[in-house]
Amino acid sequence: MIEANAEFEPRIVAFLCNWCSYAGADLAGVSRMQYPPNVRVVRVPCSGRIDPLFVLKALQNGVDGVLVSGCHPGDCHYVSGNLLARRKFAVLKSLLEHVGVEPERIHFSWVSAAEGARFAEILERVIGAVRQVGPGTKMVKSIEEAQ
Amino acid sequence: MREVEEQLRSEVVRLFAEGAIDLFLGYSSSRVPLRSAACVLHDADGVARLVWNRTCTPNLAALLRELLRSPPGATGDAPPRIGLLAKGCVSRSLVTLMKANQISRESLLIIGVDCPGMIDRHKVAARVGGEIAAAIWSGDDLAVRATGSGEHILSAEDVLLDDCRTCAHPSAVLSDRFLGEPRAPRRDALDDPASSLTEAEPEERWSHFQGEVARCIRCYACREACPNCFCTECFADASDPRWIGVTTDETDLALFHLGRAFHQAGRCVSCGACVSACPLGIDLRMLYEKVNGDVKVRFGTDVGTSLDEPEPLCRFALEDDETFMTEPGKGGRGMGVR
Amino acid sequence: MKHKRVMVIGGGIAGVQAALDLAAMSVEAILVESGPSIGGRMAQLDKTFPTNDCAMCILSPKLVAAGDHPLITIHTTSEVTAIDGEAPAFRVKVIERPRYVDVERCTACGRCSVECPVSIPDPYNEDLVKTKCIRVPFPQAVPSAAVIDPSRCLRLTRGTCGLCEQVCEPGAVNYGQTATEHEIDVGGVILATGYAVFDAVERSEYGYRAFPNVVTSLEFERLLSASGPTEGHIVRPSDGRPPRKIAFLQCVGSRDTHAGNDYCSSICCMQAAKDAIIVGEHLDDVESTVFHMDLRAYGKGFDRFIDRAESVGRTRFVRARVSSVEADARTDAVVLQYTSERGSVEHEVFDLAVLSVGLVVDPEGRRALNDLGLPVGEHGFVPVEPFEPVRTPRPGLFVCGVASGPKDIPESVVEASAAAAEAACAVRSSPPAQFSVEHPPERDIRGEPPRVGVFVCNCGINIGATIDVPSLVDYARSFPAVDHAEGFLFTCSRDAQSAITEAIREKELNRVVVAACTPRTHESLFMNTLRSSGLNPYLFEFVNIREQCSWVHREYPEEATAKAKDLLAMAIDKAALLQPLSTTRTRVEKSALVVGGGAAGMTAALTLAAQGFPVHLVEKEGELGGNLRHLRTMLDGGDPDVLLESLRERVRDEERITVHLGATVEDVVGYVGNFETRLAGVPNPIRHGVAILATGATAVEPTSHRFGTTDRVMTLRSFENRLAAGDVGIRRARSIVMVQCVESRVEDRPYCSRICCSAAVKNALRFKEVNPKASVYVLYRDMRTYGLRESWYREARRAGVLFTRYDVDCPPRVSVSAGGLRVEVDDAVLGRRLVLHPDAVVLASGIAANPDNKGLSQVFKVPLGPDGFFLEAHIKLRPVDFATDGVFVCGLAHYPKDLSEAIAQAKAAAGRAATVLANDTLETEAKIAEVRGSQCSGCGVCVEVCAYHAIELDEETGHAVVKEALCKGCGVCAATCHAAAIDLRGFANEQILAMLEAVGR
Repeated sequence: MIEANAEFEPRIVAFLCNWCSYAGADLAGVSRMQYPPNVRVVRVPCSGRIDPLFVLKALQNGVDGVLVSGCHPGDCHYVSGNLLARRKFAVLKSLLEHVGVEPERIHFSWVSAAEGARFAEILERVIGAVRQVGPGTKMVKSIEEAQ
Repeated sequence: MREVEEQLRSEVVRLFAEGAIDLFLGYSSSRVPLRSAACVLHDADGVARLVWNRTCTPNLAALLRELLRSPPGATGDAPPRIGLLAKGCVSRSLVTLMKANQISRESLLIIGVDCPGMIDRHKVAARVGGEIAAAIWSGDDLAVRATGSGEHILSAEDVLLDDCRTCAHPSAVLSDRFLGEPRAPRRDALDDPASSLTEAEPEERWSHFQGEVARCIRCYACREACPNCFCTECFADASDPRWIGVTTDETDLALFHLGRAFHQAGRCVSCGACVSACPLGIDLRMLYEKVNGDVKVRFGTDVGTSLDEPEPLCRFALEDDETFMTEPGKGGRGMGVR
Repeated sequence: MKHKRVMVIGGGIAGVQAALDLAAMSVEAILVESGPSIGGRMAQLDKTFPTNDCAMCILSPKLVAAGDHPLITIHTTSEVTAIDGEAPAFRVKVIERPRYVDVERCTACGRCSVECPVSIPDPYNEDLVKTKCIRVPFPQAVPSAAVIDPSRCLRLTRGTCGLCEQVCEPGAVNYGQTATEHEIDVGGVILATGYAVFDAVERSEYGYRAFPNVVTSLEFERLLSASGPTEGHIVRPSDGRPPRKIAFLQCVGSRDTHAGNDYCSSICCMQAAKDAIIVGEHLDDVESTVFHMDLRAYGKGFDRFIDRAESVGRTRFVRARVSSVEADARTDAVVLQYTSERGSVEHEVFDLAVLSVGLVVDPEGRRALNDLGLPVGEHGFVPVEPFEPVRTPRPGLFVCGVASGPKDIPESVVEASAAAAEAACAVRSSPPAQFSVEHPPERDIRGEPPRVGVFVCNCGINIGATIDVPSLVDYARSFPAVDHAEGFLFTCSRDAQSAITEAIREKELNRVVVAACTPRTHESLFMNTLRSSGLNPYLFEFVNIREQCSWVHREYPEEATAKAKDLLAMAIDKAALLQPLSTTRTRVEKSALVVGGGAAGMTAALTLAAQGFPVHLVEKEGELGGNLRHLRTMLDGGDPDVLLESLRERVRDEERITVHLGATVEDVVGYVGNFETRLAGVPNPIRHGVAILATGATAVEPTSHRFGTTDRVMTLRSFENRLAAGDVGIRRARSIVMVQCVESRVEDRPYCSRICCSAAVKNALRFKEVNPKASVYVLYRDMRTYGLRESWYREARRAGVLFTRYDVDCPPRVSVSAGGLRVEVDDAVLGRRLVLHPDAVVLASGIAANPDNKGLSQVFKVPLGPDGFFLEAHIKLRPVDFATDGVFVCGLAHYPKDLSEAIAQAKAAAGRAATVLANDTLETEAKIAEVRGSQCSGCGVCVEVCAYHAIELDEETGHAVVKEALCKGCGVCAATCHAAAIDLRGFANEQILAMLEAVGR
């Protein structure tokens, strides 16, 4: 059932740290870069704030892909939150892949406040990867059960 | 093991006599064949009940917090001094719990032993193809009588717990007394990939995972057996906010097991206690072996071997791997399952 | 003048830092900037050495903070034309040129730029690309508003066009603006006027402007920058293709007597190394070559950075000065001619040449200084005395940054904090500036069901043209929790603010959601609206549907509207769970503890005492003075002995300073504002609000070069002392040899001690003064006489001091025999062996970290770097702070530095400390971590991950406790706790989970 689906418009949640990646996303806007409208942003103070369970919950809620983005190493507004996040998400991504969740759905990246173009490029990349594996089915709670 | 068992009994008698301990935590045989249970001695009287054999699977460290909280043998206000038998994995759990401030070194008198590896009852049951009615040891060989399929002779090595098979530290890493000869860590075992899923295709892995967790009845025996599950309230039970629905919906089950596995990263000592405790024989090891392997390979953490080093997910190194991260031209691909 | 007020001239990083520090000390700061935005040079940089931090990432929050601060007034497009009066009462004339755009009204939407028919070179991008005559200077500009170039505007020059006014919906364009003259009364002035870059056209042999592939280092910064003209793709200007070979030409307009600039620009070696590393990271098959005279990697972590440039950046460092640059007419390749160290003339072809242009003060800058009644130094820099590095000759006027000489960003920031501290002292007698605004009492919303008000902005057509705002408003109304929803043309307009206030009052709204632009610029505005409407300002949620929706999905209006609805739903669901937050205040113990009684410690103590704060000065030894006791002379005038005596006397006479001699710190508890420190053997602890670590460093005792076998082999320090004491053996020496980098910049001590080159030059000159006929050899690896010190290096050469370079692989060999001393060295330049028979050998063995640092780092919970020096919070922008609030560092404890630099840093540390002590109470952040004790198992992972040491385990309960004054609200603890026993207010677990549920619907 997993095949490239050009019609499918994935829904993606992006957790962005306030100081770098969110600012990078703003810069993409100020620079009027265009990228597909598939992403819903959750602003958090630091990539270190993101509990890996949030990623699991997003998948359970039917999101097709997740992006977590923080400051490049050394740029963290909170000294080292991004580096702690890097460890957490290395383990999480590896675990999810291990149980068969498509790795194309789970993304982590660094985007600085000056990297509007990079932000747009990464989103293109994420959306493309998720589109390739189609709508999320694993871990997704069906609506009836959720209610 | 017989010899050590004898030594253990006389050591415990001596410790009680010297007043060095208020109670002793060890194993005793149970009525269920091939299963030893944790047992607490309050004096030397019951010392004959103590056993040390290849069915001593429970992780005794899991009982410590309870014992320290409501000391049954304590007199007065002083916390009880607890003696306990520690095989390799138990000793590493003790280290982990000390680092997490759950127990204090001073309250323990640790009797370390070397562990030849415990047997997996689920494996024995599978071998004999029926319920285990009785079992008799003869050295490392085991004669098992099963309901409906007669008697079988098995070698302990053939039915070892997978975790014991890959155990790097069979001897206690921390002890006050050591009975028998300690063995050096098994370097060859360090990076042994032993997951049941390693070779499978993604879809196979998913259906295996899904098939396994779908059987979960949320009895939480795994949690009870685990020394690391000391949270006051597990995220699986929390209602404010609710992380997981209180259902046996497959996605809730998956979330519980993935969340729990993630929480074990850097704390799990691969004792196999949860695997043994699960009444349904769910393949929990596929999760814990994975996170253990990851912290070992990625962050160089050998869980429970250092009292000073913070947990691997509570620290970082500038040069940590980031090849798994997404770059504009690449990424989002697999990390390669070990 | 009614209250404390100081003017800061120049809105670069130094000026911005000075203004922020002043404001934090309750001193009003008037920040005057000649350009249309604050930010200065740093805003143009891509990354910064030696950490390769993104310049904009770390600068932009400071710019926003300066723009938002109620005690900072920013005048852009403004010049100071005169400063009348005397300290501490100046009247400053400021001419504010018209911007032709009303800053209050402009939404920085950029529509005007789209319509404007006139293209002009973009100064922000060093004219590499065109921008429009009306434009926002750069995306992160503060103020965030457009500006018109009047010399090119058709409307202003010819009376035609007028398009921008027509398309500007908020009506911000105003061609009628005229220059205004302000007369501002201030108590002090800080000059932070920065620099211009050397005009490379002046050195025509480098082919700048003649050949397309020759660019300046500043232009190259823009080419590297992700927000630059090529979006960070490194390409040759001639053909847009990535270069394979890049040459960096150092000292263009620096160390160049022909250009009149005989000084070193201090930053270019490291900038080139940084650029080379970044190039190496961007492009796989590129090779960089840096042509330099000496490699001046004299700062913290710099030598390691050079190593990285060589390994990671595949960079070749070639010791040669390029004599000419030609271009291949067919390929536009650049052909460099240079003379190798061995004397052969080489030609090498490169794809791109980067000219490392020096920092200069241009004639305009000099004129401006003249207007301010200041003498101008030889090179146009403001002259300062060595012991007063931030004071200008005119009392009441202070200086920081490159205005007083070339220096890098952290040194400029240090001086900015130092100048702010001095200026704050100057206005001490005036009452503090007040900025509290009366707000109506906050309505208690406890027990009320959520009543959310939703306000959606069209932002003219910026949002409305893409997103269907009316349908968004309707959608909002469909939520049961929403009691009011409404759209505005401009939600940030005053009219809209009143309408929001009215809706809050009328409908008793208790949560507000605004869907508009970005919270990064407008959140504070709306939070203020809530405050003035009697609502707790944290009952507010911002939805970004402009920068992150309408502007980036212009081709997909339907999908953009759907996305905006999702974002709105997420915000509404989160808003319903918002709780009023308050900041708490902790009392500040208004005194300081200074550890270390050397020059830095005494200066810090005196600076704080001068501001009225009691200081405990703790010195390990039996007397004050530290390393200053061993210093006899200064390179550029000033007598260290006089300074030592004056510092001791002033400390003795200052009643606010309590000196503890022979004392060491044993234990510290508490946190910013409330420390308690116990000294060894003293039962009663000292209570203090801040601590400054000024523990100095130690001189390295050499173990090589026959040191210790004869007193004729001595350290540089003892040579200086013996020379000053009139030691006959020294005075009569016919020949001396000075060996640099002894046991320094080697594997065991892989850093540069920064001051030894200048100290060698100084002592060589002093020696030549008393004994002109003697020969002096300085055996060196790189002469690192950075900045204005370079002129003394030249002076020494002129005086006949012989400088011989050796390679690290063949260090000089010293032997002692009955016949005397013998030094053998392989001259790396001439390629021959030199055998010398000096009367004395002087070893520059460098500086090592104080071994006490280790213990102090543990008790004060502050980190050490790899070489044992204290590691500051941020190597660029927080050079004297620690991540642990309330603890500061200065002097040699931070890194080797000369006396002037140590004094500047001590004043800076005192200034930063005063920003804490100036407050009676400290306000915590509102969005901070919170523990649910009943859920906490006391495992301590939160304590472990907190970079601010803001969490501790309660001794009684074992539960985690957040020290609210220290928490910065990053939420790492919340994400790490397995039991959700610690959560982050404002970004709480349940709020994020609600958003995730909303997005799944």
